[in-house]
Amino acid sequence: MAKEIVIDSLGEACPVPLVKAQNAIKEMEIGDVLIVQIDHSCAMKNLPEWARKDGHNVEVEEVDDGEWEVIIEKAK
Amino acid sequence: MPENTQTTATSSTGSIRRSSTRAPRKKKKNMIPFGVGLLVIIVLIGFLLGQKNATVGLFWIFGISFGFVLQKARFCFTASMRDPYLTGGTSLTRAVIIAFALTTIGFTAIKYGAYVKGLPIPGMSYVVPVSAATVIGAFLFGIGMVIAGGCASGTLMRNGEGFMMQWLVLVFFITGSLWGAHDFGWWKEVFISNGPSVFLPDVFGWFGALALQLLVLLGLFVFATKYEQKKSA
Repeated sequence: MAKEIVIDSLGEACPVPLVKAQNAIKEMEIGDVLIVQIDHSCAMKNLPEWARKDGHNVEVEEVDDGEWEVIIEKAK
Repeated sequence: MPENTQTTATSSTGSIRRSSTRAPRKKKKNMIPFGVGLLVIIVLIGFLLGQKNATVGLFWIFGISFGFVLQKARFCFTASMRDPYLTGGTSLTRAVIIAFALTTIGFTAIKYGAYVKGLPIPGMSYVVPVSAATVIGAFLFGIGMVIAGGCASGTLMRNGEGFMMQWLVLVFFITGSLWGAHDFGWWKEVFISNGPSVFLPDVFGWFGALALQLLVLLGLFVFATKYEQKKSA
C-alpha cells in the first residue's frame, strides 16, 4: 500500500523545504507520494527542479495566492 | 521523521494519486483592477518624483522594474550559489553568469565611451582594494544569506511578496548595514586599504580586459553545465 506523507513547510525559507523533502524521500518506498506545502517562492523553483532531476514524478499546484503544494511521487 | 508529517493511505485522484483532503480552495479575487490601480499610483509617484528631481524619478522606475523582473523570474542569487550543492542544478548559476557577461559588456561600453571622449570614467570609486578581507567578507555574507533565505535583492523582493519571516530579516539587514556603515572608516583604514586595487583595463588594455572577463565567464558557464550533467548522471 503506497503511503502519502505531507510536510508542512509554510513559513519556512528556502532551503529548509528542500532539505526536509530530501530527507523524507530517502525513507520512502517507490510509489509513495510526498506533498510539500510551501509559501516561499524560491522553494517553488528548486524543489521541482531537484525532484525532476532525481527522476521522480512532480506536480506543482498553486493552492492559494503565493501558496503551493509540490506533489512528488517517488519513482526510483 | 519530523513531527509535522502525517501518513495516510492513498486513493486515486489526479495524475499522481493522492488522498489527503485539501482545504476547499478559496475563490480567487480578480487582481486586474488592483494591478491597474497600482500602475496608476506608480506612474503618478514617478511623475511627482521626476518633477522634484529627475534622477530620483529614474531610480523609482529602475527599482520597480528590477523588483518586478526578480520576482517574476524567481531569480535568486543565493540559490545560484547554493543549489549546485543541494540539488545539482545549475540553471540559476548559469543565469547569473549570463547576467554578469551582459553587464560586463554594458559597463565596458559606458566606461570606454567616457574614456574615448576624455571624460572622467564613471563608477571608478567602485574599484576598491582586494585583500583577504574580500574573501572573509564574501564567506560571511554567504553564510548569512543561506540562513536568512535570501541575499540583499532577494530579501527585498520577498519582503514585497509578503513572506513575513523575511520582514524580520529586513530589520537586521538594515541594522547590520547601518552598523557596518558606522564603523566602515575603521575597517577601511585597518584592513581594506592594505590590498592592491586593480582596474583590469589598466593592466590588459580595454579589449584585453573585456575578452579576459568574458573568457573566464565562459569557462565558468561550461564548468556549470558539465557539473550539472555529472551530478544528474
